Amino acid sequence: MSERDVYSWRNAWFRRSVVSLILLTVGAFLVGFIWLPSVHGDFTAQGLWASICQAAGVPTTWSAKGPPVKPQPQSTHVVLERAMVRASTSDSVGRGATLALNCTMCHGAQGISSSDSPNLAGQYPEVIIKQLRDYTQGKRTHSVMEAFARNLSERDINDLAAYYAYLPKARIGPTTYDEKLPALVRVGDPMRNIAPCISCHGGIDQKLGTPWLEGMPKSYLVAQLEAFRTSTRRNDSQGQMRNMVRAMTDTEIQEVSAFYARKAGASQER
Amino acid sequence: MEKGSVVWHANKLVLAHFWVAFVAFLGAIFLGEWQMFVRSPLAAWVNNPEHYYRSVTAHGTVMAYVLPTLVAMGFGYAIVELALKKPLIGLRWAWAGFWLVMAGTAMAAVTMALGKASVLYTFYPPMIGSSFYYLGVVLVVVGSWIWVALMSINLRAWKRDNPGASVPLAMFGNVAGAYLWAWTSVGAAVEILVLILPASLGFTDTINAGLARVFFSWTLHAIVYFWLMPAYIAFYTLVPRAIGGRLYSDSMARVAFVLFLVFSMPIGIHHLFADPQVGAGFKFVHAAMTAMVSVPTLLTVFTIVASVEIAGRLRGGKGLFGWVKALPWDNPMMLAVTFSFIMLGFGGAGGIINMSYQLNETVHNTQWVTGHFHLIFAGAIVIMYFMVAYELWPQLTGCGPLPRHLMKVQLWLWFVGMMVLSMPWHLVGLLGMPRRMAYYDYTHPDIQSQAWTVIASTIGGLLLVISAVILVYILAMAHRRKNAASLLEPFTFSRTAHPSHTPALLNTFGIWVAMMIGLTVVNYGYPIAQLAMLKEASVPVIPIGSRQ
Repeated sequence: MSERDVYSWRNAWFRRSVVSLILLTVGAFLVGFIWLPSVHGDFTAQGLWASICQAAGVPTTWSAKGPPVKPQPQSTHVVLERAMVRASTSDSVGRGATLALNCTMCHGAQGISSSDSPNLAGQYPEVIIKQLRDYTQGKRTHSVMEAFARNLSERDINDLAAYYAYLPKARIGPTTYDEKLPALVRVGDPMRNIAPCISCHGGIDQKLGTPWLEGMPKSYLVAQLEAFRTSTRRNDSQGQMRNMVRAMTDTEIQEVSAFYARKAGASQER
Repeated sequence: MEKGSVVWHANKLVLAHFWVAFVAFLGAIFLGEWQMFVRSPLAAWVNNPEHYYRSVTAHGTVMAYVLPTLVAMGFGYAIVELALKKPLIGLRWAWAGFWLVMAGTAMAAVTMALGKASVLYTFYPPMIGSSFYYLGVVLVVVGSWIWVALMSINLRAWKRDNPGASVPLAMFGNVAGAYLWAWTSVGAAVEILVLILPASLGFTDTINAGLARVFFSWTLHAIVYFWLMPAYIAFYTLVPRAIGGRLYSDSMARVAFVLFLVFSMPIGIHHLFADPQVGAGFKFVHAAMTAMVSVPTLLTVFTIVASVEIAGRLRGGKGLFGWVKALPWDNPMMLAVTFSFIMLGFGGAGGIINMSYQLNETVHNTQWVTGHFHLIFAGAIVIMYFMVAYELWPQLTGCGPLPRHLMKVQLWLWFVGMMVLSMPWHLVGLLGMPRRMAYYDYTHPDIQSQAWTVIASTIGGLLLVISAVILVYILAMAHRRKNAASLLEPFTFSRTAHPSHTPALLNTFGIWVAMMIGLTVVNYGYPIAQLAMLKEASVPVIPIGSRQ
């Protein structure tokens, strides 16, 4: 049999193979797109064609007249992008330094606070950008910070972030995992759904938008954790901090805060 | 060497493939056992869970990409020379392909070891690791594409020299596997080149994660059948001969191979049953087609059991079950095929549960799934990889017969180890134990009662490690005994029980490849086009290991 005869409709093998494959495929599609959806109210509410589209995965709204549920308030409007991290120009750092003169009263002349405000020296740029934008958009509240942030342009925010990222880090001992770390910091508590601190805040991995914490004033850390726990602060985009802290006890909050505060060395301990 | 045996041109090439495959395998199996150990109650929690995921990534990358690709390639080159009885065309290219795979493996290995790509071998966008990891995987795949081309070229050359003759069965299965792999690997290749690498190299900050997952599913399921092809070739062309039987039906074997070609591709969305971005209709169609892919496996089980029965009856077995007793149970191949079928049976039954749209909900992302693919791949398939090596080794090294007793110990350990490893996983999977966990909190009363299963799996893993060490020992020691070369018997493949006529359609690939591509377009075309056009499907990437 020549090659051409093999691929000919007269060849029964060829004919049967092609026909049975087509029948199988058509059958599977009929069941998957017509029969099964037909027994499901959600699929059939808007007619046959809509039900086929839905089975195919076309994005639809369940109701024709606008969304039946009111959109939930978003915890933040900031979408973290890696572009926020990219190296900035010295021009930008310079402008940032000038703008940062406004911040020195609380955050310290070199970005190291002596007033229980967070240290900003060496903070990751996307962290500063996100928090400042959250302040300007009312997603994070603080009477002083909101007032300061209100007048900052997008460029101002980027420049400030560039400046603080440029300053040497205050943390003298970055957290690396080791067995002496407190359990919550090191391995979390899986049964309470508490992830280890070091899986985002540096040590195992440092996730985009997550601040480094070493050497932060303890009272600041405790206050923030408590704010997350009571949802007074809720600008964590996926609720990740709120979900972690909600399961933590007061003692545990004190412990992890003390751990991170102490990392800057005895002189910084508060 | 003359009396009918093959004049090897490619034996160094084949040996190189198998050796790299098994050395990587040995390393990866130690990682696997370490993973079992650190999350069992026998050890304290791993202090740095990232180390666990780094290890899982390396274990998966070696076992899923490096080992099966190299075994399929090496066995494929051997089949060209053994079955077609002519020197491999394109030996230099084959070496180039080998070195590409080597370079890719080394590149991916270093990146993984540095913790820059702990994204697991299935990539999981929007997590993004170092570009070197993905480039390494790409090199492995490109190296294997050279093999695909060479298999096709060698088949064409043989057909030109032997017009009208039926292609030897081993070569037919081999080329079916090569074509399957060529088309299968396109999904992951597109995912890496078009979606992941631009994000990994920093050209874009977002990635269409849904689309990436659909592309990966294109590869993810059919790759299993690429892994499986060497084992099935061994079932059909080595087992009946090795145990003194006849292959029951040559045509049935070819039907199984072409059915794999047609149906293993357009079914991968059954991995995405829990993914909201794919429509329920397509999920059903893929589930139905997945059911179809069990047909060639059932055909194979039937044919091989019939072939084994022939062996039993030729050895004087009588009656309904008397032939079972008469089988050559001291023959390592007999043991291997038995173990392989038992594991294939359990794993296959589990697989039918996984592919059922509704039942999948209960086991999705649990240890059940880990148990399933270890039974099928690491059990049923890899045990046949061992047998392929054992069959080829005397030919490749001239070492004479391998130590049978040690081989049987190795196979027993592998079988028992794999059952003890994976059965507890099935059990706790049904109870809801999630997979991919670096540790479990056994102090919790809900979990404490499951702790013993993890210890059991650790013990099973230990047996597997011992078995792997014995395998490498047997293969390595063979190189020290080259004196027996003159006693070498010519290598043969199974003979069929009945003189068979190969239907013309089962001697060619055109229609089956066309069906494979056509069905892929039908089953994947719309989901891919729709997701590619959906702007909302792009999400910010999550860089892994870029800052520590």
